[in-house]
Amino acid sequence: MGLIEDAAETFEAEVNNLRLNVKDTIEALDHEYAGSLYDTVLTTRLGKVVGWAQKNALWPATFGLACCAIEMMAMANSRWDAARFGAEVFRASPRQADLMIVSGRVSQKMAPILKQIFDQMPEPKWVISMGACASCGGVFNNYSIVQGVDRVVPVDVYVPGCPPGPEALLYGVIKLQEKIMAEAGTDKAKKRVA
Amino acid sequence: MTSEEIVEKLKASFPDDIQDTALPQGDAVIFVAPDRLQKVAGFLKDDPSLKFDYLSDVCGVDYLNEEREPRFEAVYNLHSIDHQHSIRIRVGIEEDNPSVPTVSEFWKGALYPEQELFDMFGIHVEGHPKNERLIMPKEWAGYPLRKDYPLTTETVTFSYNRDFKSDLVKSKPPTR
Amino acid sequence: MSVTEQGLLERDKDTMTLNMGPQHPSTHGVFRVILEMDGEVVKTAEPEIGYLHTGIEKTCENKRYVHVIPITDRLDYLNPPGNNLAFCLSTEKLLDIEIPERAQALRVIMCELSRIASHLVWLGTHALDIGAMTVFLYCWREREMILDLNEEISGVRMMTSYIRVGGVAKDATRPWLDGIRDFIDYFPAKVDEYEKLLTKNPIWVDRTEGVGVFTREEAINWSLSGPALRASGVNWDIRKSKPYSGYDNYNFDVPVLKNGDIYDRYRVRVEEMRQSRIIIKQAMEKLPGGDFKTPDNKVSLPPRETLHTSMEALIHHFKLVSEGISVPKGETYVPIEGARGEVGFYIVSDGTNVPYRVKLRAPSFMAIPGMCKMMEGCYIADVVGIIGSIDIVMGEVDR
Repeated sequence: MGLIEDAAETFEAEVNNLRLNVKDTIEALDHEYAGSLYDTVLTTRLGKVVGWAQKNALWPATFGLACCAIEMMAMANSRWDAARFGAEVFRASPRQADLMIVSGRVSQKMAPILKQIFDQMPEPKWVISMGACASCGGVFNNYSIVQGVDRVVPVDVYVPGCPPGPEALLYGVIKLQEKIMAEAGTDKAKKRVA
Repeated sequence: MTSEEIVEKLKASFPDDIQDTALPQGDAVIFVAPDRLQKVAGFLKDDPSLKFDYLSDVCGVDYLNEEREPRFEAVYNLHSIDHQHSIRIRVGIEEDNPSVPTVSEFWKGALYPEQELFDMFGIHVEGHPKNERLIMPKEWAGYPLRKDYPLTTETVTFSYNRDFKSDLVKSKPPTR
Repeated sequence: MSVTEQGLLERDKDTMTLNMGPQHPSTHGVFRVILEMDGEVVKTAEPEIGYLHTGIEKTCENKRYVHVIPITDRLDYLNPPGNNLAFCLSTEKLLDIEIPERAQALRVIMCELSRIASHLVWLGTHALDIGAMTVFLYCWREREMILDLNEEISGVRMMTSYIRVGGVAKDATRPWLDGIRDFIDYFPAKVDEYEKLLTKNPIWVDRTEGVGVFTREEAINWSLSGPALRASGVNWDIRKSKPYSGYDNYNFDVPVLKNGDIYDRYRVRVEEMRQSRIIIKQAMEKLPGGDFKTPDNKVSLPPRETLHTSMEALIHHFKLVSEGISVPKGETYVPIEGARGEVGFYIVSDGTNVPYRVKLRAPSFMAIPGMCKMMEGCYIADVVGIIGSIDIVMGEVDR
């Protein structure tokens, strides 16, 4: 009888151990592969594809405020063709756009309207702050200019210059495309889609 | 007509209304009090040899730093298309309850600059159809172009000026 | 809308209010117009400005004269040399100095090139609004040539700050002069191309002829200026009536038309582009030698070579760079003919190196009430054409 009891006790101890180990292992597995299969392998691959599609078809909303708007128009024209990077269609309605290029100085009267247009854009959306005035207030440090549009909307890429040449703005768009690809498929991209 | 002739003719026609005249660098300038402005303006527009039918600009100046009375001034620049001469009218405006009559009955182009006079300096324009803010937001308090209104309330956070040390920049920018 | 006692909605007025808000694709900047409409016809148009107010006039009261010049670039940002020239002329009138002839000719060349560039932007965006997108792409192609010339002479594409108090910043270089020669040979064919696309185009004529008419008296009374005034039959061009910077040495015509509608304003500006090219050609042929800035070292920097040998040059250089020019006390206003009309700076100086008051007379600002008067009685589609034809730039409207 003693042998069988010993055996039973050992067996129970082993099973408990195994149960505890398996619990840890399953918890570890749960942590790494949280959720279903969709959330694991497919998301990263699919996310990359979605990111690739988004970056190659960025549609800017027309938000030309001041002098930088002229260089933005020059970027869209034939010499520095923005169409070859996908950013050709400048949509008038913010509801159809996903990129807002704030080009020009933002005055105190214009700031609420900037916020309203930004809110009207559907997710996912990006903001390029073009020029010195949009990035930090520029040459104008006074009562009427908002010192940097990032006080009003979250900015992804800052393009310095007064005004930045169309090649600089195009480089900013390319950097934004790289940012979209780097974030694609990760949590950051998921956060953009509310 | 040359500037001297214009100024002489006006001095002769309005001996009491025109306070002073000047000819700085060849321009014709007359100084008028606010209550006589409409009378002189009507004459300047209708008189056939003067015929100032084009209002170029209405400008406001705040002479607070020069400490002279009256504190404000409204400056009217007029051209004549047919005779091709110009004149400048300077109207001195007192500090308490600043106000000036409108000239928009003679020149419709005065509507916007006079509204800006009110917006930027607080000078009330009598007879103007709209005495409200034009350029600043509607709820803005204060008159920005007055000399006692500060340029900005924010301090500069970074400067290449080596003597400037703001709180946010703890160490000097690196030198050679 | 109000609610009756039975809870039914009732209309207060017969018109519909349409807000053509500060953000709209007519790319003329942040201009807001509230239209009261009866069907498609506009009954009243109420403008609202101030969305680009930058406090430039107050900023200029805290900067030295040479620092004000780059700020004036950003006022009418399509014609920066025009603003620079207006400011410099007013300052030089107070300083009472003579500008050498070569500097005057270089200033004229720069201003006329900028006038052509500004009219190209106007034509491109105006045609784009009305629907002709090809002209937009064509105009920017020529504008890129002018911006390359700007970059050659001053380093910056748009805001050149080339015209300084006392003359210009730098002497004309050989590549710049050659580039201008190539441009003036190449340009007339291009203007003919734009005219071929638009002038006799039935769609263009239908949309622009007889629309937004302003009579001669109305145009003068509402203080319109520049091409809009000349299209209404008023022969007023400041380059001819109050010549500045040597404009009386050149032979050029000023186009004046009678009808005062959008079509005439279009034709006046296209002809002005041709006349500007003629002025540049004459200025290039007669380009005088000599100094490119005044030799008075109290106003302009002495040449660099003399700094090694002359003590006065060194002291002048130091004073000019650290303190800047000091302008005698006084006030003055010198108007010039900018691309949009009469531009001028009313400067009050108190004798120090910082201006006391700087006021810009902006042609677009003075044109806005007249423009909104023109819109009454038009269809909504014409509103866009009218805004384009007056060619407003919000940078100078709001300052």
